[in-house]
Amino acid sequence: MAATITLNRQSAFSSAAGVAEATTEPALVRGILIAIAALFLGLFLFLPLAVVFAAAFAKGVSAYFVSFREPDALAAIRLTLLAAGIAVPLNLVFGVCAAWSIAKFEFAGKSLLITLIDLPFSVSPVVSGLIYVLLFGLQGLLGPWLAAHDIKIIFAVPGIVLATIFVTFPFVARELIPLIQAQGSEEEEAALTLGASGWQTFLRVTLPNVKWGLLYGVILCNARAMGEFGAVSVVSGHIRGLTNTMPLHIEILYNEYQFVSAFAVASLLALLALVTLVAKSAVEWKAKQQHAALARNWEEVTV
Amino acid sequence: MSIEALNITKTFGRFTALSNVSLEIPTGELVALLGPSGSGKTTLLRIIAGLEFADTGTVRFDGKDISDRSAGERRVGFVFQHYALFRHMTVFENIAFGLKVRPRQQRPPAERIRAKVHELLKLIQLEKLAQRLPSQLSGGQRQRVALARALAVEPSVLLLDEPFGALDAKVRQELRRWLRQLHDEIHVTSVFVTHDQEEALELANRVVVMNEGRIEQVGTPDEVYNHPATPFVYNFLGNVNLFHGRVDNGKAYIDQKNTGHVVYVRPHLLEIDRQPNGGGPDRFRARIKHINSAGPLVKVEAITEWGDPVHIEISQERFRTLELRRDEAVFVIPKDVRVFHANEGSPAKPM
Repeated sequence: MAATITLNRQSAFSSAAGVAEATTEPALVRGILIAIAALFLGLFLFLPLAVVFAAAFAKGVSAYFVSFREPDALAAIRLTLLAAGIAVPLNLVFGVCAAWSIAKFEFAGKSLLITLIDLPFSVSPVVSGLIYVLLFGLQGLLGPWLAAHDIKIIFAVPGIVLATIFVTFPFVARELIPLIQAQGSEEEEAALTLGASGWQTFLRVTLPNVKWGLLYGVILCNARAMGEFGAVSVVSGHIRGLTNTMPLHIEILYNEYQFVSAFAVASLLALLALVTLVAKSAVEWKAKQQHAALARNWEEVTV
Repeated sequence: MSIEALNITKTFGRFTALSNVSLEIPTGELVALLGPSGSGKTTLLRIIAGLEFADTGTVRFDGKDISDRSAGERRVGFVFQHYALFRHMTVFENIAFGLKVRPRQQRPPAERIRAKVHELLKLIQLEKLAQRLPSQLSGGQRQRVALARALAVEPSVLLLDEPFGALDAKVRQELRRWLRQLHDEIHVTSVFVTHDQEEALELANRVVVMNEGRIEQVGTPDEVYNHPATPFVYNFLGNVNLFHGRVDNGKAYIDQKNTGHVVYVRPHLLEIDRQPNGGGPDRFRARIKHINSAGPLVKVEAITEWGDPVHIEISQERFRTLELRRDEAVFVIPKDVRVFHANEGSPAKPM
């Protein structure tokens, strides 16, 4: 038995090597391609990132931290956390519902729903913001009614939250739809025949099967929710300490030549991006690990 | 528990999966729904299970109308072709699932659930693999776990959708025998879907042959094989030779002229002889084209005097006595034939 395994491994290895040989370019071409990729990454990603942190710490560590003690900065951070804190859970629920109904049922208007989910991706964020102004602004469609009832949406926190929800709409749904579709509905049917309710089936069968995809969607959704500028800028009104999110606050500081403060807050957003990337890689790695572990065990069993 | 499906019709868009099908299954039977793909057999099974709902018609368990009940309320055990095991749960958790999801008042205590699962693991002979994940099991093992999971809820009927379809031939044989034994032990009314006639004939008490959304024949394996009611059943169950024929004085003869009758003869019901015996109408000439003597029966392929191919199966003993060779001219004698009108399904003059 052991002999067969080694033989299999060897043949697998040699065939892999064979493939590599057939598709490998000459060393010079390889070198040039790698150099171009590295140069591009360095110029457009690492350099700006370094500049952000360099500028933030230009006047020393204490100046860096002073930037965060400012009430307006704190308010901006709070508002960003609030907007993301509302938008992400809402889009999580919406994404799961939409993905479930698209993957599992046939209904009229299904393709329209798929197109609509993608809308925030295809529309410029500025336009998304304008839509809300046209709807809820004073001169807008619902403006007079809202004014009569003393409800403020545009140039207030609700507008910012709404705009954030809109632009982060597709992330979770987009991630889940192909996943749920690929898994089919046999496991759910099995759960139903065993007497599980619809809710039990969802919690115990469907959700565990898509949890990594779901987490991945949430991470992307959160990153966008915190970083959104265009749509939020249109509906915010830039009222300091009230309707400024972190990206808006950074812009104001920069325009006022407060470079250290601007870059300090920017570094926080950059840090968020880095954390997101690490979390995303960790999730991917974890999913792959699980896969590999299963494959390994499978090998043991079959041998 | 007895099952009745009465006047079931089901369409998917423009496709009619079942048209006015009625079937009664007495308590404790092991019934096969046999037919080619697209014959409606799986749809009928899923309607009985409550995974699909008929456009018209009623489903009754023990005489009680349960047409509107959900799959969970019907308490059926359903086994899927591709197992449908919960991939993130261990074997133990899979089998325990049906008991754990019960409402609190009906749920057995954890101790009882564990005992029940171990009892089932013993039944499927997988006690050592309780903590494995489904992906760590072989196909045959997975299908047994799926069966144990279905049995854990003590179902009133057991429904199996092509249960051995995804397994290789040897495992399939073993599982078939094992399922037969299991049914003898627990006597739960069971229905399984298959397109494999051998599986249906070997395993079931009764076979329901289906074609194009209708039931062609219901009977014991012996009845459907030896007394097929329609040309379709004759064709579908086992190999068969088709000839033009005629009927004289209540006796059927194979003829090269088309007289509106089709004669069906199974290969093992054809005899080979060297003697013309007066060259009567009960035999015809043929030339041997190919001989396959590997197996319990010798398979002979020949060409009739009018140029049609004919398949004949004779015993090894007879083959040795005759000393047949390729390209040899012989006489072929049908021992038992069945005649149907060429253009309709009903038997003409059964022999």
